[in-house]
Amino acid sequence: MRSCRRRRPENSAMTDARAHAAYYESEAALRLVDQELDQLREATDPAASIVELPLILERANQQIHTVLARLRDVREARHRSACGTLQYTHERIRAVTLATEDAATDILDACDRARHIVDALDAIDTAEPADRGRAKALRATLRDELFLMTGALQFQDITAQQLAHASAVLMDMETRLTDLATLFSTTLSVAALPANSGAVPEAMTYDPNATTRHAEARQHLADEIFMSAKVSAA
Amino acid sequence: MKFLVVDDSATMRRIVINSLQRIGFHDTVEAGDGLEALARFDSSVRFVITDWNMPNMSGTEFTKALRLRADGRRVPVLMVTTRSAKEDILIAMAAGVSNFIVKPFTPQVLKEKIDALLPAAAA
Repeated sequence: MRSCRRRRPENSAMTDARAHAAYYESEAALRLVDQELDQLREATDPAASIVELPLILERANQQIHTVLARLRDVREARHRSACGTLQYTHERIRAVTLATEDAATDILDACDRARHIVDALDAIDTAEPADRGRAKALRATLRDELFLMTGALQFQDITAQQLAHASAVLMDMETRLTDLATLFSTTLSVAALPANSGAVPEAMTYDPNATTRHAEARQHLADEIFMSAKVSAA
Repeated sequence: MKFLVVDDSATMRRIVINSLQRIGFHDTVEAGDGLEALARFDSSVRFVITDWNMPNMSGTEFTKALRLRADGRRVPVLMVTTRSAKEDILIAMAAGVSNFIVKPFTPQVLKEKIDALLPAAAA
């Protein structure tokens, strides 16, 4: 089995154009073979036709080779496109797993710290005299921890965008596979195929490159770009 | 000071509003996309925080439309988005965005950006 290279999905419009070109060229080549065979059938002088038979078969053979080469070309292009698309989608889904894991870890860490703070507050309550100043500081820290937990939930928005993109890619793939199936089967009815699994997420509703990673570095870079663009504009 | 928080994710709207409350801003109004935000915006809103990727009308389209309104020409617009490529930032600036926050953000970054834009919001 051929290995899939790691890359983003290529422009599938090119693959479509190649598939259509191959389809029409294959059809033309087969029509030529058909014409050759018709000439052979309609020949008035069977003996002369027999003499020409090797040449006719040779030409037919060449045409069939051309058709097969075209089909191989299309298959290769489809394979490359499918591999790239699936690999990229796999990476996006893996990013969702990582983002979810990171957020869960952050929330659990904050929960642990919050529990220790509550224990410390309990200890202050039972002590005599109670250290009210320290209790006040601990309550402020506890509020910070609860706030950190809230912030960690931003992963939900980002993973929703990552999944929307993966979903759009898979639905595009589904459409292409259906097109391919109908292209190579004259008996296959599109109506008989399973219905598309849902509405394609609107491209404007998600960022295909959404990520939870390196937020600080990305913010720093964004600040630099924003400032330099502002200076240039002024 | 009234803030308009625009994001199609209810979770994000809640996180932004919680963050605003934590730094002392309790007067907020919400919208789920740019179109709804345009309808909700009025002269009482002194600060806008908007996402980029939203249905019906994106954050950049909303900002452009807002800048065409007499009451929205000067209001600070802070874009909070996952986008951080140079071309995205330039598009946002061209649309009229006042500053840019990359998701996921920290409350400190939000506070810094708001503080920097407060004089414009108060004007």
